[in-house]
Amino acid sequence: MAATEVSTGSTSGEPDPADFPIRWAWEEGPLTPGLSCVFRVKNEARNLPWVLPPMFDAVDHVVLVDNGSDDGTAEVAQQVAEQHGATDRFTLRSYPFRVARAGAEHLRTPPDSVHSLTYFYNWSFSHVRTSYSMKWDGDMVLTAEGVELLRDLSWQLEDSDAVVAIPRHPMSVESESVAWLDLGYRFLEPWVYPMGPEFTFVKAFEWEVREFPPSSERIVAPEGMCVELKWLDQDEFAHWSHTEFDPVRTPRKARELEVMRALHEGRPEDVEGLTRIEAPPGVHVVDYVTRQWMQLEPRPLTLRLELAEADRPVRR
Amino acid sequence: MSESKRRVVFVVGSGRSGTSTMAGALQALGMHVPQPEVRADETNPKGFAESKWVVDLHHELLQRWHVQVSDARPGAWYETGKASASGITRARLTEWLGPQFKEAQVTAQGEEPAIDELVIKDPRLAWFLGLWKSAALRTDAQPSYVTMLRHVTEVVGSKQRYYSQATNARQTTTGSHVQRTAAWVNMMLHTERATRDGTRAFVRYDDLLTDWTVPVFRLGQELDLEAVKSASANSIRAVHQFIDPDLKRVQATWADVPVPARLQELAESTWEGLAKLAEPGGDTPDVHALLDEVRAAYVEFYDEAEAVAQSSVVAARREGRQQASEERQPPPATFTSRARNKIRRTLGQ
Repeated sequence: MAATEVSTGSTSGEPDPADFPIRWAWEEGPLTPGLSCVFRVKNEARNLPWVLPPMFDAVDHVVLVDNGSDDGTAEVAQQVAEQHGATDRFTLRSYPFRVARAGAEHLRTPPDSVHSLTYFYNWSFSHVRTSYSMKWDGDMVLTAEGVELLRDLSWQLEDSDAVVAIPRHPMSVESESVAWLDLGYRFLEPWVYPMGPEFTFVKAFEWEVREFPPSSERIVAPEGMCVELKWLDQDEFAHWSHTEFDPVRTPRKARELEVMRALHEGRPEDVEGLTRIEAPPGVHVVDYVTRQWMQLEPRPLTLRLELAEADRPVRR
Repeated sequence: MSESKRRVVFVVGSGRSGTSTMAGALQALGMHVPQPEVRADETNPKGFAESKWVVDLHHELLQRWHVQVSDARPGAWYETGKASASGITRARLTEWLGPQFKEAQVTAQGEEPAIDELVIKDPRLAWFLGLWKSAALRTDAQPSYVTMLRHVTEVVGSKQRYYSQATNARQTTTGSHVQRTAAWVNMMLHTERATRDGTRAFVRYDDLLTDWTVPVFRLGQELDLEAVKSASANSIRAVHQFIDPDLKRVQATWADVPVPARLQELAESTWEGLAKLAEPGGDTPDVHALLDEVRAAYVEFYDEAEAVAQSSVVAARREGRQQASEERQPPPATFTSRARNKIRRTLGQ
């Protein structure tokens, strides 16, 4: 059964950092084979009913760490796990400290502070008991093919020390039946890592990064494995300490902002690669894209605008 | 979400386990084996029911990733897993698989029925199931798996009889028994793991030969195969003519297949676990957990054996390197070319 853990260890009623130590499972004994997914989330109640079920289908264990949500995120997560019959493969934890926002605020925060993204990530991943783990965002939905890929990797990666990068495709949801999928760029990020002292999180400029030794093999998953949900009726950039992105250092965020502005201003045609998708009647567009559209769409999916024109794939 | 009628049945299991018989039976009932097929030979006189394109693709991928058809290394699954995750290979396979399905059409020659249900079979197939799953999804087809089960001693005995000419001349019979038994354990345990979350069935070779109607009827129901569910009397007759109970020509026991006691124990545990999966309602989490334990024990056993044989590996690598270097050296110049060079040097050319 999942357990919710909220500690208020100090006499002042504030949570005591000493109650949130990072104790790695590998220090206590051998890890069990398999793949765990770790979510660190804040106010993702709206997304979790789409995000969690395919992830429960794909991996051996899910760890979800709630960081001060006020929209019932933890309750929704627990409910979805119960509905999916996955409570024995689900760990729910609460992290009560305010975590620095990505960007300048993060840069100012020491990595060993409980307020640092770095500490928060390491503490969250210290709950993993399997030999492989992956971070995942609370707004990323696996497609049917993505589920199958992770199911395979969960046993094939064992003892390999490989790191797996998976492209994500941002999808802005306009209504229950219409969404805009950004197929202009391929944004690739490593998500899946072995567990061990060489694979912990360290501080970077805007956020945290996970370390891995140069000898680790890197596997690049195909396109079409997951979408990242954006809701047009919501401020997607609230968790950033500023919204002026340097397109060189944070190209993905700069592109997201460009897409969001174009859609809000009613000029989607200005953004190359932005694709309108309409679901059939009675089917939610998120379900339609992740369970059907994405599989059947011819490859390559993205225009790869990040590449020089001569290096871009030919789309049919 | 999709209500597609398309199905792809992947027939897997070790070679010499009745995979050709199963695929051939499904073909006789009306499922389609993509053409052209590999031609029958003396090892399989009734044909393989194998698509040539599929065999060629698997052969190419195995070569590229340095994996053998019967490979005992647990780590080989990681190599073929990487091959299966390749976006380029997935697109290539999808491009081939899509046109294998066909709508019904009327041509000058008459009416051609639709092709909605395919059978894919090849002894190399299990290495690439992730790749095939992806192609099935991308062509709007529901994948399912039939794993054929035959006791390891019969499989190894049959391979020894039919494939012995292909065996490395320096390998002893005992050595090949051990390697083949280990490869069988590796193949069967990981095939079970790879198909665990999908729609699948396990069929014992003995059951198929004794009365094929029972296991094949069950496949039709469990895998939702229209060709089987609505099989005509003519196609049923065709299967009876195709399946020959005398096919089971090799009946070997451990007395014929001497292997180390620990490997025999692992092979027996694998067989017992898989046999449970073949029982109606037997595909349960308890059996999966049992097979996971056997798989972990096999990985440990193999790691140990590999460590023990490390000196042989190093020696073989050195020998191979030397051989390659000798092959790279240019042949000694002939007398004529030496003489010609001398004259050129003398003339200052």
